[in-house]
Amino acid sequence: MLSRLALRSELFRVAPFCASVRFTQTKPAVTTSNESIIVPGFPKPNGQTQPNPFDGPERDLVNFPRMVRLEEPAKTRYLFVPEEWFEIFYKKTGVTGPYVFAAGITTYVLSKEIWVVDHEFPYVLATIGMFYLGWKKFGKSVAEYLDKEIDSYEADCNSSRASEVDYLKEIIEKQKKEIWRTEAQKHIMQAKRENISIQLETIYRERALQVYNQVKRRLDYQLELANLTRTVQQRHMVNWIIENVMKSLTSDQEKQSFKKCMVDLQALAAKA
Amino acid sequence: MAIGDYPAEYNPKVHGPYDPARFYGTPDTPFSQLKLGEVTEWIGRRNKSPSAIAGLFSRAYWRWSHKYVQPKRATIAPLIHIIAGSMLFFYTINYGKIIRERNYKHH
Repeated sequence: MLSRLALRSELFRVAPFCASVRFTQTKPAVTTSNESIIVPGFPKPNGQTQPNPFDGPERDLVNFPRMVRLEEPAKTRYLFVPEEWFEIFYKKTGVTGPYVFAAGITTYVLSKEIWVVDHEFPYVLATIGMFYLGWKKFGKSVAEYLDKEIDSYEADCNSSRASEVDYLKEIIEKQKKEIWRTEAQKHIMQAKRENISIQLETIYRERALQVYNQVKRRLDYQLELANLTRTVQQRHMVNWIIENVMKSLTSDQEKQSFKKCMVDLQALAAKA
Repeated sequence: MAIGDYPAEYNPKVHGPYDPARFYGTPDTPFSQLKLGEVTEWIGRRNKSPSAIAGLFSRAYWRWSHKYVQPKRATIAPLIHIIAGSMLFFYTINYGKIIRERNYKHH
């Protein structure tokens, strides 16, 4: 059971490979219009022939192409006489040959009374006349009506497939649009990054300024402190020196200096 | 080969879907390409068994059908073929009675 399954799966795996090989080997035969109903392969929607995945490697597509229904029937003249008959005559006798032949045969069978002109003879003429009149009067309109019918029938048969294809195409278009839209995300991300880097820059600068201010404040404080210390020390030293000098002065010295001052004053006054 | 079977030469693996209008045996020289001296020999080579003759008519019918009846935009031609053919056929089978209506004795 399992081995058979394995064989099956192997077959399924191999089949498309064979088909592809065969597809390259066979050259597409030229479509002949009315000589045969056979044209190679079922045409795909893109007009290419389609390999059948169930065909084996021995399938001969050149001599035995797939059958396809003809679109137009074989050509006829006078509604029903095959065109090939005229072609056979044309090679040997030219254009008038078949008509001469038909007239000759008719004359012969009438004259020998093989075709007897009896009471049923007019029916032949009547039938021909009826067909001629019918073809003249209704031929075109009936043909148009039938063509329209068969076209609409075929369109009906194809509609589900066609709509499916259309739907898938629409989805592909939408996906392409989405891809196109997603490209904008790159720019948006770029803008966001720039925005964040600007914010980081701002904060960095703010902090740098803050650091500067703080350092400056501390340095100012140190400067202030040093200045203050120096002034205080200076004043203290001045006061201390003065105090000690004043303390060291005796009354004699004071009197002497007072006298000296007086002398100086007198000298100054004399000069003035 | 029983009635209703495919021809013995038909091999679906090689020939694909069966075409009833097609002869699957080895093709002989077409009758239209023969010289007059070869005709008797050619007829001697033919398979004249009833089933072969039936097959001949069947293929002819299907060839005609594919050509005139089956196409998508078929015309009135096959109908006229049938009418003309049946006219000829019934004329032939009634020929013995119809010649009694002859108007002239000598032709």
